[in-house]
Amino acid sequence: MLVLFLWLFRRTEYTGADQLAGGENLFFRLDPLSAAAAMLAARQFIALFWPALIVLALTIVLGRFFCGWICPLGTLLDYFHRLLRPIARRTNRFCSTAALGCERETAASTMPTKAQPGATVLQKARRLHSARYILLIVVLLAAVFSFPLVGFVDPLALLTRGMTLWGDPTLHRGVDAGLEWLDGRWGTEAVEPFVGKHLIPFRATVFRLAGVSAAILAAIFALELVARRFWCRNCCPLGAMLGLLGRWSLVRRLPAEICKPCGDCAELCRMDALGDGLSAEDCILCMDCVDLCPKGIAKFVVKRSKRQPRPVDLSRRGALAGMAVGAAIPGLAAAAQMIRPRKDDPYLLRPPGVGDENTFLDLCVRCGECMKVCPTGVLQPAVLESGIEGIFSPRLMFRHVFEQTYCEYTCTLCGQVCPSGAIPRLTEAAKLRRPIGLAYFDHLRCLPWGEGTPCIRCEEMCPVPEKAIKILNTFTIKDADGFELEIQQPYVDRYLCVGCGICESNCPVEGPSAIRVQRLGSPNPGTEVMLKPRDGPKIQPDSTPASPSGRP
Amino acid sequence: MDRREFIEQVAAWSAGTCLAVPLFDVRAVLAAEERPKGKPLVVVVKGKDYEALVDKVLKPLGGMAAFVNQGDRVVVKPNIGFDRRPEQAATTHPDVVKAVVRQCLDAGARRVLVFDRPVNDARRSYARSGIKEAVESIDDSRVRCEYVKNRDFVPVKIADGKSLDEFDFHRDALPPECDCYINVPVAKHHCQAKLTLGLKNVMGVIGGNRGLIHRDLPRRIADLNLVIRPKLTIIDATRILLRHGPTGGKLEDVKVLDTLIASADTVAADAYATTLFGEKPDYLGSTVAAAKLGLGEMDLSKVKIITP
Repeated sequence: MLVLFLWLFRRTEYTGADQLAGGENLFFRLDPLSAAAAMLAARQFIALFWPALIVLALTIVLGRFFCGWICPLGTLLDYFHRLLRPIARRTNRFCSTAALGCERETAASTMPTKAQPGATVLQKARRLHSARYILLIVVLLAAVFSFPLVGFVDPLALLTRGMTLWGDPTLHRGVDAGLEWLDGRWGTEAVEPFVGKHLIPFRATVFRLAGVSAAILAAIFALELVARRFWCRNCCPLGAMLGLLGRWSLVRRLPAEICKPCGDCAELCRMDALGDGLSAEDCILCMDCVDLCPKGIAKFVVKRSKRQPRPVDLSRRGALAGMAVGAAIPGLAAAAQMIRPRKDDPYLLRPPGVGDENTFLDLCVRCGECMKVCPTGVLQPAVLESGIEGIFSPRLMFRHVFEQTYCEYTCTLCGQVCPSGAIPRLTEAAKLRRPIGLAYFDHLRCLPWGEGTPCIRCEEMCPVPEKAIKILNTFTIKDADGFELEIQQPYVDRYLCVGCGICESNCPVEGPSAIRVQRLGSPNPGTEVMLKPRDGPKIQPDSTPASPSGRP
Repeated sequence: MDRREFIEQVAAWSAGTCLAVPLFDVRAVLAAEERPKGKPLVVVVKGKDYEALVDKVLKPLGGMAAFVNQGDRVVVKPNIGFDRRPEQAATTHPDVVKAVVRQCLDAGARRVLVFDRPVNDARRSYARSGIKEAVESIDDSRVRCEYVKNRDFVPVKIADGKSLDEFDFHRDALPPECDCYINVPVAKHHCQAKLTLGLKNVMGVIGGNRGLIHRDLPRRIADLNLVIRPKLTIIDATRILLRHGPTGGKLEDVKVLDTLIASADTVAADAYATTLFGEKPDYLGSTVAAAKLGLGEMDLSKVKIITP
């Protein structure tokens, strides 16, 4: 499953076809937590999430199998743990051996006594079980109040975003630097095309919040030092959700109690699901206990458990606190906006086809797939431009410190990978009917307007077949050497501009571009008084529901 | 290993690595190529079968063997600048590119590179122009159609430049990496430059900020051509873009001419191609500037035009 995940991740890229093969966003569409949160927030049923229903149905029968068999983060954590073990065995410094799964040796040499140094750590870690339920309550309740939090805690979103924003660019740069150093020596020239095509992403986009995403992911992995699968045991709200659904599952380990005096399985269980009797909310069906049982007693059977499930590890106080926080966060965020009103940023441009900002934020699960697939790297995560609730949501940035890029005229990949439909799936024609924004000239900085230097790079680049940038005045001047220069002064045809931003990214003016794309309906900077009179729209109005902001 | 030992080793290794970096001379040595004596030849042919047309246009020039020697490393530089389909006339026709590459292979080229630095996303441009597919359909290990990388570009001094002193060029397009550079532009409209033909096609092998070229487009294009000297220029006028170039997109702006123009003299080829648009050779500032630099002949009365 991890291989499938990584393969799909690599496939989430432009490969020459305008339509992706499909299924690149499979893991997100399997994710019931993202599905529930997006549906609650947007108050609509999102049919795109139908695979999540299958996971829910299977969970009711099988229990928390998703965490043990599907979740790529869980699998990665297990691999990381295996990596840690020899180090921990040598140093025995950062953490208890028990936490790192060295207990097999200790258990064999000394009788398993609860006085192991790790026991206290484990017990402490165990006590945090309720955290995941509280997180779940907070996320879902905040979603009810249309405050999207799911992207901050959903394991798949955390993993994909970390890999997209930080992992992939780093991988590209590292491999590329290596290849540059090798410079085709020792036969590496032959492997270069293969590496470029299959192993590394095509381009290394510099993403904002890359460090933050990496740090969150690193923290989750670092918690592995405290306890195996610490995140899954204690924090993961998706695991909590699946655990609750799987409480009455039919596939159970037997015996449900650990056998005295052995109890190896309880020590070995990566989820600590066998503390005092099997806890179905914790068991992820990894089958370790079956493989490792010294006497071969442990087995999994399909059986209806007669026992009443153990009470959920959540106190009434915890539940109430979760609800309070979940309900309070949206209110507090709204209050924060009242104190410091969010500026209506005219440059906050959303991916093609996105209409209402609030609906978009409700639907977006912050998975980062759109940023991954974008062939030009124009999609960047928002930081605080649309408030706290907008963090990690995709926006277009044509020019920032590291990149000058644009939205490809006929590309519709972001809508194809969006698992929740926050970015609509558009045909090429439909995309062009829904402008992302509208370009405006800064006449003081524009070379032909401001300083009489020839340059209509923006017009050259404009991909609109009739050219949305047109020439208003043409005249010649002489430069210092008496050489005649032809000056063409451009303007934007607002009825043709699609807001792709290729003009903004290619403008040779340093710093902010002399032509900038603004959100439709944002205040006009007042430069168009010099423009030609217009004779009405040349584009037929959209027959499909138009973007709510409409043409300016 | 203790801390001191670690620091010592780090220092030693870093020093070693720093000193080991090869300091290569980035200034490409350009052999000043003598222009052949006599009237430059410009061959103009018409026909529907574009692959056969390439054969036909090269014959009066002595065939591809007149330009490509056994064991040459050849660069074929088409225009793959935009994410457009062949019929939209913004990129060189894939059949023409394919035929040129095949001719180079038949002439005994050791390696044929086909590349451009597109304005749009390279993958989309290579794919939608049909050029990558056409070139790869030849299925010969000597041919490569790859995307350019930032590290491919090296700064080059332009000694006689009128408007530019230095610019970044693709190292594979320069001697000593390249023995024969074949320019395969498409003829199309361009608002600022008026037309884009052979001389302007060099924009695809330069790195850095290409927007800077536009501040003094005609002279800077000519200056860039001081560095890149195509042995052969084949202008693809099988269909030309009359308006809304260089991107195009509307089929109403495209005129099918089924014409190829070939010459060893890029300036002469450009001068002739300008007439296809109903203009005189001096319509293009870049042609004038290049002729002034002695890069070729723009006076069509001094050019031998062959229309077999």
